[in-house]
Amino acid sequence: MTTTATPAARPRTLAASVRQVTKTYGEGDTAVRALDRASLEIPTGQFTAVMGPSGSGKSTLMHVLAGLDDVDSGQVLLGETDLTRLSEKERTLLRRTRIGFVFQSFNLIPALTAAENIRLPLTLAGRRPDRAWEDRVVDMLGIADRLTHRPSELSGGQQQRVAVARALVTRPDVIFADEPTGNLDTQHGQALLEFLRHTSADLGQTIVMVTHDPTAASYADRVVFLVDGRVVDELTEPTASAVLTTMAGLAGKED
Amino acid sequence: MWRLAIKQVVAHRFRFVLTTLAVVIGVTFVSGTLVLTDTSQQLFDEKFSSRSSGSDVTVRTEVAFDEAMGVEVEHAPVPESLLDTVRDTAGVDEAVGVATGKGVLLVDGDAVESTGMPLVLSWTDEPFGRFEISAGHEPRAAGEVVLEQDTARRAGVEVGDTVTVQSDRVRELEVVGLAESTRQAAYEGASVALVDIDAAQELLRLGDGYSEIRVTADDGTTATALEDRLRDAVGKGYSVASSKDVARASSDAARTQLGYLQGALLALAAAALLIGGYLIANTFTIVVAQRTRELALLRAAGATARQVKRLLRGEALVVGVVGSAVGTVLGIGAAAALRGALEAAGADLPSGPAVIRPGSMLLAFAIGVTVTALAAVAPSRRAGRVSPLQAMRSAAAGRVAGRRRRVVGTVAGVASVAALVVVGAGGASVALAAVAGVLAVVALAALGPVLAGPLTRIVGRPLAALGVPGRLAGEFAAKAPRRTAATVLALSLSIGLIAFTTVLSASLRSEISDRYQEVVHADLVVESSGMEMLGGLSPAVYDRVAALPEVESATRMRLGHFKTDGTGTALAAVDPATVESAVTVEMRSGSLADLDRGGVMVSESTAKADGLEPGDTIAMTFPRGTRRVPVVGVYDDDLVAVTQVNYVIGLRAYERLYAEDVDADVFVTLAPGTDAEAAQAAVERALADFPNADVRDQAGATEGRTALLDQILGLVTAALLLTVLIALLGVTNTLALSIVERTQEIGLLRSIGMTDRQLRWMIRSEAAIQAAVAVVLGSVLGLGFAAATVRALGGTHPVPVVVPWGGLVTVLVLGTIAGLVAGMLPARRAARLRLMDAITTA
Repeated sequence: MTTTATPAARPRTLAASVRQVTKTYGEGDTAVRALDRASLEIPTGQFTAVMGPSGSGKSTLMHVLAGLDDVDSGQVLLGETDLTRLSEKERTLLRRTRIGFVFQSFNLIPALTAAENIRLPLTLAGRRPDRAWEDRVVDMLGIADRLTHRPSELSGGQQQRVAVARALVTRPDVIFADEPTGNLDTQHGQALLEFLRHTSADLGQTIVMVTHDPTAASYADRVVFLVDGRVVDELTEPTASAVLTTMAGLAGKED
Repeated sequence: MWRLAIKQVVAHRFRFVLTTLAVVIGVTFVSGTLVLTDTSQQLFDEKFSSRSSGSDVTVRTEVAFDEAMGVEVEHAPVPESLLDTVRDTAGVDEAVGVATGKGVLLVDGDAVESTGMPLVLSWTDEPFGRFEISAGHEPRAAGEVVLEQDTARRAGVEVGDTVTVQSDRVRELEVVGLAESTRQAAYEGASVALVDIDAAQELLRLGDGYSEIRVTADDGTTATALEDRLRDAVGKGYSVASSKDVARASSDAARTQLGYLQGALLALAAAALLIGGYLIANTFTIVVAQRTRELALLRAAGATARQVKRLLRGEALVVGVVGSAVGTVLGIGAAAALRGALEAAGADLPSGPAVIRPGSMLLAFAIGVTVTALAAVAPSRRAGRVSPLQAMRSAAAGRVAGRRRRVVGTVAGVASVAALVVVGAGGASVALAAVAGVLAVVALAALGPVLAGPLTRIVGRPLAALGVPGRLAGEFAAKAPRRTAATVLALSLSIGLIAFTTVLSASLRSEISDRYQEVVHADLVVESSGMEMLGGLSPAVYDRVAALPEVESATRMRLGHFKTDGTGTALAAVDPATVESAVTVEMRSGSLADLDRGGVMVSESTAKADGLEPGDTIAMTFPRGTRRVPVVGVYDDDLVAVTQVNYVIGLRAYERLYAEDVDADVFVTLAPGTDAEAAQAAVERALADFPNADVRDQAGATEGRTALLDQILGLVTAALLLTVLIALLGVTNTLALSIVERTQEIGLLRSIGMTDRQLRWMIRSEAAIQAAVAVVLGSVLGLGFAAATVRALGGTHPVPVVVPWGGLVTVLVLGTIAGLVAGMLPARRAARLRLMDAITTA
């Protein structure tokens, strides 16, 4: 591993956390308990990967952490803010400034240029872009020469880097990445993961990434494993094979 | 497939509700029109047949035709001597001479309201008359009148009061009794004054004559046999008919007028249905595009292309049947609303319970189903072409426009503009403008997707300046040019129609008033406020006005109908000696004075069209028979703007040719040095007991001339607004459907911090942009076509095009606002999308 700093070297403030969170979808017989008294802490500056089999609740966990979805019970904190006490509108405004997203399917607005897509959260919030920061992000991602292009004129890797730039541009407390490499080929996927790791390490950016790919997870500082709506295990400074082994163990337990 | 089709409709309720609504509105209009005209027809028939006397045969003077252009021809009075001839005929049991005519009832100087013509009738007992005394006694002397009891109640008159009856003469009469009609509904709403025969003859200026003679057959003689015998007895110049046929002729005239109305209403309904049909086609096209995957799955599961087509057609049929059924039923209620609107615009329709004919209901229903089925033909064909493989792929974005489309569109567009230019230059008839209209629609439909993008960006610019949501809305609208074009086209067509009628009527309006002011230099004009087709002034009006010291000269104009080659046409009659005191008559050839020799003058455009010049003769059929009338002059078309007719004869000839005895206009020139206002007051005083005589100065007369145009415009615009409503439904529908397509995009926007409000504003903006594009496009279209049509209508005189900018700007603003409203429902739908679904839906 080539990590430049260990999580332990940083002050242990929490960027986000969930405590005893339960979330159920549906009612009666068809009810599905996606999160079952799940608890997790995300330290500031850490790159955390969330893994688990399909239906383990990892996506729900991310949605809850990001304020996209509400919970039945428990506490969700973003910094000092308790998201469960906020209205949908307040959560929307909070997402604008304090949270960034990177989706599997890039989710760029095809009608807007790359630069416009990057600035979209700021424009929606009516904020002025911080030019210096923006330039730095764009340079780092190597998309400075693609800014006037529309998404349809960009490769998949470029599109995803634009999406990452969009997530970074507001300097959010946390960036949530949902299977960010799912639609990329191996080469572009690895480049993106490298970049995410650098962002976390060099800029101190907190990142939470949901993935089912052990290799992707191995780029993180820490991997947490979810089964049946609960955090059941975790690895620090993971390797792909360690992740695989843990996963296999979990699958065994499941049966 | 049937069951699947029904299941589809039920499962996608929302998508189909709006489509169905479009069918409902169109069919409601059709069904409402049919119910209204059926009802009116039935009521007219009932009214006239129940008014027919209980006699067997009616003898009148002969006329060459019973009605022309929906106006019943008046019969000249039959002489007293004929009554004796009739009575002496074998087989006659009893015969009475009756006098009937128009007579306005006045109470304290105010006219008693009347639906249909206010009547004055000579009193006769059953079966010749249809009244029974319910209070007091029948009229026995010249100064006595009996009022129909409902008339009296409405007028607040009792036995013993004095009323004025104003007919060809004006008389004050004492109410000596009240009468009740023995036939229900015959006189409902009409004012009826019954006087004795001598008084009636005097009021109606019949001399010793009668309007008609009513005859009953004695026992042992059939009505038909009696008719034959009477025909031999009375000889030429009189018509003998069964009393039932006489009543039928009256209702036929009313029927003709209804026919015009029905035609106009159905044309508007057709416009509504056409735009509705377009919306349906549009919806189905989008639905097919969205369901490509589902349809492909069906194909993969073994459905044939035909089955898929049938599925789509089945769904259309469900929509058509449901929408048409609802619309047909709603039409019954709409008929009442339609009647109210028409009456507000001056139409005189009988009221009564709605008549629901199964045939009409079926027709409305069938029209709705057919339009829907036709609208679904192209989309279902497209559905049939979906290949099973497409189930594995996500729907590819459609091409903007194929080459063939572009070629067809460009050719149609160029042809349309060329046709318009030709029409505008006066080189062709107005019919070519209609062809150009069709071509323009074809061009727009074909090129719409190409134009939509740039147009949307331009029109959307002001909104973009207002913020990101507005800008995104513009980009989204421009990004889906096909959808935007389809939505915009329907709306722009309806807006175009409105712009067209507005500009056309504004131009005609200003033209009519300009010409009127140029041609008529009378100081005062007296006209009937009743807007009767042939005018409605008692001749006494002219006599009184002419006798006033303030008046230097007065001249009158009458109107009549005649037939050439079997079609009814209107003519005016003037006094060639005095007409120029009030009206400028510019002769192109021939001479005005020759009218007195019994000739006819024709307008310049008619002379041109028919190749007529002074010295030619035209065969004209008047109520009293056909004559070859010499053409004595050709007058400038300016006069047409005033008289509205292309044929003018002399007053003296008119009196010989027509039994009608009403003036349409009395033109007054004041004596020099008279104060205009004082003189007008004097004329009004002199005509105080003629409540329908409106005394107008030149400005007032001009206004009166254009008032009708304004009313018609109001009515047409109201109907066209309905098509706008349908088109707006289209905006709502397509936008709502597009929300489904854009779920992911919306999810993204929401997750990176777009608020509910911003999202709603964005969707509404998109609707507003589409509406604005439609308004701009529609206005341009409407303006172009109106300009060309106005030019073409001008004939020998180019008519200036008047554009009511204020009105058009109002349309623009209102249209855009309407678009915002149309976007509300889809906006709410988008905002209600569960955030999670939006994000997770790939």
